[in-house]
Amino acid sequence: MNNFLQYCFGGSALGARYALVALGFVVIHRATGVINFAQGSIVALGAYFTFNAHQTWGLPFVVAVGIAVLGAAAVGVLIERFILRRMAGEPVFSVIMLTIGLLFVIDQVVTMVWGQDAQNLGDPWGIDTVTAGEIVMAVEDLWSIGLAFAVVAAFFVFFHYSGTGLAMRAVAIDEEAAMARGISVRRVVAVAWGISGAVAAIAGVTLASGPAALRPSVGLIALAAFPAMILGGLDSPFGAVVGGFIIGITQTLTAGYQPTHASWLGEDFQAVTPYVVMIVILMLRPYGLFGTKEVERL
Amino acid sequence: MRGTLQRPPRRSNRRGVALLAGLALVVAACGDDDDSGADATAAPAATEAPAATEAPAATEAPAATEAPAATEAPGATEAPAATEAPKELEPGPGFDGSTIKVGVITALSGPAALIGTPLAAGQQVYFDYLNAELGGIAGKYPVEILLEDNLYETATTVQKYGKIKDDVVMFTQIMGTPSISAALPLLAEDNMIAAPASQDAIWVREQNLFPVIEPYQIDVINAMSYYVGDGGGSTADTICAVIQNDVYGEAGLDGLEFAADQLGFEIATVTRYAAGDQDFTAQVTELANTNCDMVFATALPTEFAGILGAAAQRAFEPRWIAQSPAWVDELAGTPLAEYLEAHVWIVALGREWGDPASKDMTEMVDRVATYKPDQSPDYYFTFGYLQAWAAHQLLEAAVADGDLGREGIINAMNGLTALEFGDLSPAYAYGPPEDRDPPRGSTIFAVDRSKPFALGALATNFTTPEAEAYVFPAAD
Amino acid sequence: MTAILRGRDSANRAMLRDHLDTTALWRTGWRRAGLVIGLLVYIVAPLYLSDFQLTVVDYAGIAAIGAIGLNVLTGYTGQISLGHGFFLGAGAYTAAYVGGELDLPLPLWLATAALAGALVGAVIGPFALRLRGSYLAIITLGLVFIGQHVFENWDSVTGGLNGLAVTAPVELGPVDFAELDVAGHAFTRNGGYFYLIWGLVALVALLVKNLMRSRLGRAFQAVRDRDSAAAVMGVRLARTKVMSFVVSSSLAAVAGALYGSYQRFVNPDEFGLFLSIRYVAMIVIGGVATIYGPVLGALFITAVPHVIDAWSDRIPGVATQPGESGITVFALNQALFGVLIVGFLLFEPRGLAAVWARVKTYFQSWPFSY
Repeated sequence: MNNFLQYCFGGSALGARYALVALGFVVIHRATGVINFAQGSIVALGAYFTFNAHQTWGLPFVVAVGIAVLGAAAVGVLIERFILRRMAGEPVFSVIMLTIGLLFVIDQVVTMVWGQDAQNLGDPWGIDTVTAGEIVMAVEDLWSIGLAFAVVAAFFVFFHYSGTGLAMRAVAIDEEAAMARGISVRRVVAVAWGISGAVAAIAGVTLASGPAALRPSVGLIALAAFPAMILGGLDSPFGAVVGGFIIGITQTLTAGYQPTHASWLGEDFQAVTPYVVMIVILMLRPYGLFGTKEVERL
Repeated sequence: MRGTLQRPPRRSNRRGVALLAGLALVVAACGDDDDSGADATAAPAATEAPAATEAPAATEAPAATEAPAATEAPGATEAPAATEAPKELEPGPGFDGSTIKVGVITALSGPAALIGTPLAAGQQVYFDYLNAELGGIAGKYPVEILLEDNLYETATTVQKYGKIKDDVVMFTQIMGTPSISAALPLLAEDNMIAAPASQDAIWVREQNLFPVIEPYQIDVINAMSYYVGDGGGSTADTICAVIQNDVYGEAGLDGLEFAADQLGFEIATVTRYAAGDQDFTAQVTELANTNCDMVFATALPTEFAGILGAAAQRAFEPRWIAQSPAWVDELAGTPLAEYLEAHVWIVALGREWGDPASKDMTEMVDRVATYKPDQSPDYYFTFGYLQAWAAHQLLEAAVADGDLGREGIINAMNGLTALEFGDLSPAYAYGPPEDRDPPRGSTIFAVDRSKPFALGALATNFTTPEAEAYVFPAAD
Repeated sequence: MTAILRGRDSANRAMLRDHLDTTALWRTGWRRAGLVIGLLVYIVAPLYLSDFQLTVVDYAGIAAIGAIGLNVLTGYTGQISLGHGFFLGAGAYTAAYVGGELDLPLPLWLATAALAGALVGAVIGPFALRLRGSYLAIITLGLVFIGQHVFENWDSVTGGLNGLAVTAPVELGPVDFAELDVAGHAFTRNGGYFYLIWGLVALVALLVKNLMRSRLGRAFQAVRDRDSAAAVMGVRLARTKVMSFVVSSSLAAVAGALYGSYQRFVNPDEFGLFLSIRYVAMIVIGGVATIYGPVLGALFITAVPHVIDAWSDRIPGVATQPGESGITVFALNQALFGVLIVGFLLFEPRGLAAVWARVKTYFQSWPFSY
């Protein structure tokens, strides 16, 4: 039982990180219908910006994170303004490939600037732990979970109570009608990309904290976050979080129990568990748990 | 049919266009390839005459080769042979009569570059020393490295191999177990040899491979023997393992199982992870639940850091012993530093960097200062350096026999009685593959931030009866 | 048959006047001349290219077959797939088993690989029925990871993470492509393979071209353009989409089989997401929905890293020795790969094929070109 709870906690922390990455995807998809494959590289950028500000420039950690959030948001806005905007109206396939191309470029820029070696983020959580009964909880994990919920709460407030947030929802529902109401779609899209970048930076910080955990491959987590996003529904922030937690916990439980109880599934089955879960759910609910069903007009 | 008139299908001849376009691109890439080919064939005529006049000069050559004979003692066959006039050396692939070219295919980019770059640098420094201070092989043939980047990928290795194989006499380094496996049939076909930059035991009996240091399995066995002996552990302890789920991990496990058999302990649990994993909760929880007293790790630095981080966060503190590839000195600069110093040992080859008790280590460090002062301490550098040193001994033998062709190199390799590395690394008994006997020594390091590369030696180049008992299987 | 080589007076060559015109493969004199030149190049190339250049061209040919396959799925049927790497792997391992383990001859292992690919495609295809667009792309992403997992764990067949040596023979009757000897001239292994590979490229291109002119091919394109409209018109969506997967994965398997036989060693690592992305890049850069576009794309994508490598000394800011400052050639190649994809999509979404078409149109409409 003890193990089970420990796995659940670990899985929740992992799920929180997936959720943060997935939220970045969802924001953009809601506003523009595009899946930004380059999100992983922006996550890495956010982590490295924090590293640069904190370790190289010596600023306090919180300030460094703030700078990283702003920087990643700026990167998102710039990408949208100069590259994605030219692709308006092009088929989905082309835009997906474009973001994949961007992924490669940004990944290489990261390694060119900061090198391949594993670095220390210098986060204040280190390897500290808190014990609750029999469960040992890493402070870093608690912060990840906390941040994920904080971001979701912020999203909720933003989408329901702020002008821009409501405008974004309007654009997602019907772009033309939103424009007819005087909403600047361009601004909304830019804001969406900016928010996505900001969330990516926070995700990057939670992923790269811990000893020698900052390395260029930190962006690869985005691949594992796809199932979380799909599971929850491509345009539901709440779904992204639920999806993230489901995937994270299933993954850790699989890692813990599969080698002993179902070893015929192969070594390291936990790495593909997210995809299996995703496929199963998609077969049953093609638009995810909370996604909106697309209506096609003939 | 309106559609067809508005958009006539323009299907121009695809193959012709494609081939022409492709050829244009490929011809653009030709450049250097053709040039080097032309040089190799034009050179021989020019170098025959000088080779003949070298013969009287050959009596001076022994003086130059005496110095290395005193400090490195290359294979026993060299010293007497060097005093006779060497037979006429025919130019051939990789040898134009004056320079010997060797191939190095290693990971210079991508994550594996952390290991590949110092590996290559070790070779470069050794050959720089050889060329500058000794004048080259037999005092007159400088060695030049043709360096290629394989990104740690098999397909790229195969391509790069094909690119330079006709320009080299041998490969002094190919990095990556899968890459070496991919290259083996090609090496066999071309009668070429390569020194593998990986410590797998399966290389020992390969005719086309030229291993130079002890395999991982030996390291594991020695480490376990040390642990239950001077290391303060016992065979009654709960001993566990965490390994990477690939060939590398299996090699470590192989050694651990042999050690368990010989020393009489049980492996309580073996847990695995995949390269690239970021979460190790499950593995560490399993180890913690088994209450392991000691955990052996066959891992790579990034994942090892993750595992140790998770362990520290669970307050799980066994004795960790990890194989050499798990370590990079950056780990000592992380918040894990204290945990590392208290609980982690590394089993590896060679000596503490700059160990003053070792003449050859001191010389190597001096040469680093002369030829590559920005090189930081790194035992992969030492590995590459040893490979180059071994190649030196091999090439001396081949030159003494007067044959730098493919057959000549293989015969020279089979004719070596031993590879000697002074006191930097234990000697490797050589000969034909079935007679080869790898060294059985390893070094145990503890983490110590005050030392170079953050490793301080606890026991250097020691061997144990269990390691001596390990038998290397014949090639299948 | 006469339609294939039927001539037309030059004034009317660009016009299509009847159905036979649309079916003619080489309608004009230019095209027939191009065909002859192409044949000559095919015959003569291994005599003039260096062994290393032949390696590049051989890998490019293998990629071309795979790219043509992906083009059927994505370019002609509009199904986004990031799972192509998996089908290539399936073909490679089938060839390793049938050609290597069982030591069956070339036509057999090639055909078995094609069949295996087709079967796998038939199994995967139904997944695509309910999904479209981004969802389909991500499901194929999941497929490629699960596929890699299978490759890594099914040791008995695939050798697992150790990789697998492939010894599939390439003899066709009296001709052994690995040791080709024609009229006393002994070709290297790469030269022999060149004939096999590019011969197959021509065959596959012809097959696919004909397929696209057939009823099924038109159904593919109808599904791509507007699948609901296609369904209304009587195209059976499920069957068409699945067939598209079947054809595409079958061709990918053939490419994979050749790859395994050529490289003589395969490793599950190779058949992952990056390989799939490479193939998508090939059809994007080469030009979707043409037959020769993927071939151009394959040549381009395969050759560019080698060109960069050969010229790396002359590019400023590139480190060629370890430890030198500057970026590595690998980093440059990856970045360039990304830049090329972005660049082509932004400025020439129809790829190299469209560039060629523009050049041709310029000359054809001269002096009225614009």
